[in-house]
Amino acid sequence: MTLYSKMLGAASGIAMACTAFAAQAETLFWSTQAKPVEEAQAMREQVLSGFADGVDYQPNDGGPWLTRLQAELQAGSGTIGVLGALHGDFSAMKPDDLVDLSDMGVMSASGTFNDLAKLGTDSMQYIPWMQASYIMAANKDALQYLPDGADINALTYDQLIAWAANAHEAADEPKFGFPAGPKGLKHRFFQGYLYPSYTNGVVRTFASDAAVTAWEKMRELWAHTNPASTNFSFMQEQLLSGDAWIVFDHTSRLAQAFNERPDDFVAFPAPAGPTGRGFMPVLAGVAIPKTAPDMDAAKALVEYMLKPETQIATLKATNFFPVVDVALPDDLPASVKAAGDAVAKMSASADANPGLLPAGLGDKGGDFNRVFVDSFERIVLAGQDIRTVLDDQKGTLAAIMNETGAPCWAPDAPSEGACPVE
Amino acid sequence: MTVVTTDVAAPDTRKAGRFVYISAVALLCAWVLVPIYFLLINTLSSPETVNSFPKPFIPEFDLGSLQFFAGFAGMLTALKNSVLVAGMTMIMSILIGAPAGYALSRFDFRGKELFRLLILLTRAFPLPLLALPLAVMFIQTGLDDTVFGLALVHTTLAIPFSVLITFSLFSGIPIELEEAAWTLGCTRLTAFTKVVLPLILPGITASAIFAFVISWNEVFAAAVLTIENRTLTAFLLQNLDTSPLHLKFAGGFILVVPALIFIFAVRKYLFAMWGIANR
Repeated sequence: MTLYSKMLGAASGIAMACTAFAAQAETLFWSTQAKPVEEAQAMREQVLSGFADGVDYQPNDGGPWLTRLQAELQAGSGTIGVLGALHGDFSAMKPDDLVDLSDMGVMSASGTFNDLAKLGTDSMQYIPWMQASYIMAANKDALQYLPDGADINALTYDQLIAWAANAHEAADEPKFGFPAGPKGLKHRFFQGYLYPSYTNGVVRTFASDAAVTAWEKMRELWAHTNPASTNFSFMQEQLLSGDAWIVFDHTSRLAQAFNERPDDFVAFPAPAGPTGRGFMPVLAGVAIPKTAPDMDAAKALVEYMLKPETQIATLKATNFFPVVDVALPDDLPASVKAAGDAVAKMSASADANPGLLPAGLGDKGGDFNRVFVDSFERIVLAGQDIRTVLDDQKGTLAAIMNETGAPCWAPDAPSEGACPVE
Repeated sequence: MTVVTTDVAAPDTRKAGRFVYISAVALLCAWVLVPIYFLLINTLSSPETVNSFPKPFIPEFDLGSLQFFAGFAGMLTALKNSVLVAGMTMIMSILIGAPAGYALSRFDFRGKELFRLLILLTRAFPLPLLALPLAVMFIQTGLDDTVFGLALVHTTLAIPFSVLITFSLFSGIPIELEEAAWTLGCTRLTAFTKVVLPLILPGITASAIFAFVISWNEVFAAAVLTIENRTLTAFLLQNLDTSPLHLKFAGGFILVVPALIFIFAVRKYLFAMWGIANR
């Protein structure tokens, strides 16, 4: 009897819990960003708690994120209110599936970002939400090995290699760290940093002689790189564990190191090559799928995300920087200060050569990245002849560009029609 | 060692055999226990200790990482959903799989081989491929975002195992036993429940554990097919790979413990199958 009543109680409790959930009319924020548990928690507690109608923030891997979205679009009814994702995720989607946000009255302060958000159409398909970049970071213990005359805020690739070599010699093991792991963002280093710095282009100059030099430098750097780098995806871990002293990575993937031991690490701009200091922004946006259950609430949430206060809260939660004009407060986390300084120095440097995110590739974005990752694996890891590999991969790259018809983006010179691989 | 004659080799070999046996057992235990022990140590360590090397062998009982998850919104609901889905998967896959296994082992029918092959085919397609049409159908039929809907998918994944395991179990029990029961007054049903079922119970437990673990570990379908009613794995796992190391360990620990508790709870049925009956 007691067991029966217990079970009855449990059953009614579960039933009540279920109805309580069903009664919530929260807007579902379906995101690929702020995925780490701490960031997700901060998004919920510090960023979205201020939104009056309540938000259910659900960060996901790219696969489930896209599959769920496609399922809702195909079924014609959905639960997702607002999408949060990278520019590349949105550019892989059909513009028809996203609600036109041109008349929202909110947009980012950057004209470039607003143009990117149109995804090649005439109207805003998503609203720029937050931005980040890739920077370098080092353990302060490694600063003593900087080559003579090198300024850490104006390094060249040669100086970086010399520095890594000195550190290698001093520690008796390679101490440069590179996110070449399965989830690492190595392709962005080639697309946004190495290629622009050596060839002043990405697509046009893919197989140029300058590109051969760039890959030779990459090989030199790799000689002083911790060989376990092929397992590294978040360089903050290797900075903290001491497996790497000098690293390159996404600002938010370095944040933990600065927040845990702010006095031990230093952030600095990416190095410069013969054609300038190449660097690349990361742009995330918010969009509304056409199947959103409550369009007004979704639009209100998008507006809320672009408010200056929300943008600052987002910065603290995720280490992604605002896209609207805001005055940054003084009480920012150590990681934000360090990364912000480094990005500011990088973009303000005299030889800055900013690149843009690949645009117009649609769902071929992954294939485009693959070209660079394959080249890296063949040239650097497998030690194949650079010229042969580049000539091989050139065909694949040209096919992607012709198929998508994507015009060139900076730093490549503009093109009529598809960007040619020269 | 080189002067040992063949006369004394026999006890020596036995001793060596014993040594090999014991060290193999120790190695196998360590194979399973050491990683779990390190998981525990790192879960109970402060972030600084987790990132340091070498690791201490005694946990320092820093509960910071676990406390973070205690305050993580929706953890308990997700745990409840996981248990519900895994439980339903277990029951349904046995209810559907065991009769199919019985039929395969006891009856001859046309297309039997094809049937066996078709059962395996449900595992031939990767879930990311199936998830999209499934999700579309679930949304249209209202099964979307329900524990039952997800349990249906997990049951489909678990059925090949439960069918094949029970098939071999039933095949291992001589039909004569059943026939004897029939001659002693049992019907087909009572012969099954009184004679066959007790014999295969350990095997059923094994396939239940399989079903439980399959459901517990499945991420993709759970992430696509549920939103409010997320399972613990879908809720945590895809966020853990990008989280700091100490939270990875704590989250992994939280994911492992319920499954371990479950396996401990049913272990005596499992051991019975291997002939070490301790009932």
